[in-house]
Amino acid sequence: MIFGILESFNDTPILLYLVVVAVACMGGGIPPMLERRRRRAIENELPSFLEALADSVGAGRGLQEAMKEQSEASDSPLALLLRETLREGHASSFEASLSAFAAKTRSSQVQRVMMLVETALQQNSSLRDILNDLSRDYERLNDLMNRREGELQGRGMLIIIFVSVGLPVLIAFIVGLFAPASKGFQIASFNQTFSFFFAAASAVGVSVSGRMMGRFRDTLWWLPLWMAVSMGLYLGAVKAVGG
Amino acid sequence: MRKLEEKRELLYVIRTLDVLMSSGVGLEAALHTIGRGGYGIISSDFSAMMKRLQKGKSKGLDRELKDMMKLAESAGYKRLLNTLYTNVTQNTDLVETLKKQGTRMEEERTDEVEKYIEELGGVPETLLSIGMIGPIILAIVGLVPQLMSGDLGAFMSLPDPAVINSVVNMGLFITLVGMALIGLKAHTKDPGL
Repeated sequence: MIFGILESFNDTPILLYLVVVAVACMGGGIPPMLERRRRRAIENELPSFLEALADSVGAGRGLQEAMKEQSEASDSPLALLLRETLREGHASSFEASLSAFAAKTRSSQVQRVMMLVETALQQNSSLRDILNDLSRDYERLNDLMNRREGELQGRGMLIIIFVSVGLPVLIAFIVGLFAPASKGFQIASFNQTFSFFFAAASAVGVSVSGRMMGRFRDTLWWLPLWMAVSMGLYLGAVKAVGG
Repeated sequence: MRKLEEKRELLYVIRTLDVLMSSGVGLEAALHTIGRGGYGIISSDFSAMMKRLQKGKSKGLDRELKDMMKLAESAGYKRLLNTLYTNVTQNTDLVETLKKQGTRMEEERTDEVEKYIEELGGVPETLLSIGMIGPIILAIVGLVPQLMSGDLGAFMSLPDPAVINSVVNMGLFITLVGMALIGLKAHTKDPGL
């Protein structure tokens, strides 16, 4: 059945090439999605973690002790990673462990915080105030990032669904109903032009949607898939409706 | 691009300077710490400035800060450099000013993101209006030579099919360009979180 479907698109080899590229790119598109989810989970936890650290430090604990306690207090991704890093770093300095932890999170937010904490440790600054300030800063930043993503995600999906799915199917129905190939209408060149247009329009739509949510590079991996979906839907629906 | 990078890093630079200087670190040492890296384009600027100062090729920190103000593109970065310059020349309370600037920058960032979300509210509608109405009309135009062939076509004196095809192709291309231009707003207005 799959070969039958693929053979029906033999006259549009570019669609078949796109499908192959899309399948390959999906392999590249999934890891950034998972990585992003993990990183955002860590970043969303960061403000409460810093606040707890500030409280512990304010109560007279050392930073190392406070971090160890916090890492054992929960099983969240941030705490797990910190626990693992502190456990591994028993033969190295605490500063080295902090740097290793920051690098492992692969989050610019955590890396900035750790850099500032290290600087504060070197300068004997008031850690409690700094951690409290950082906690507030990053809470506001994460709120903004989550809000932006939440509000723009729906709009981005709307663009993709309408441009990549709705439009090709709608025009395929118009073409299939008014100029069916089964009745001798010569629409091969017309179909080719429009299938290319839908692929390009999908590329634009998906890029705009990705940029709106602030993850343009990650979205690029999914571009061939949406282009192929758009082309395939148009050509498939024209064949299904018009014969 | 530079403006966006400056805006993205500025708040973190202000916070770091605040922490460093509150704990008694001098201005030059604080600038040197920022210049060591981690703050994108601002680190590069400070690093270049400190290298010039260390080599003795510069007329002094105040002149360097003044020159960098010309290079800065974002208002916030210019303001920070001006604050540093004033501190060097007039010995002002830098820590207090940095704290105020940090708060102000944060408020500005929140406002900009809210504005961005608001401005992008109309993008899907505009993009879909152009991206859907254009192709629907052009599809009908492209089918006209097929639908009105024979006597009806001769009676209506339709243009040559090649002309119609060219119009459709051109129309589709313009639609694509229009969609891309509307989408460009999402890039150019990005406040850079």
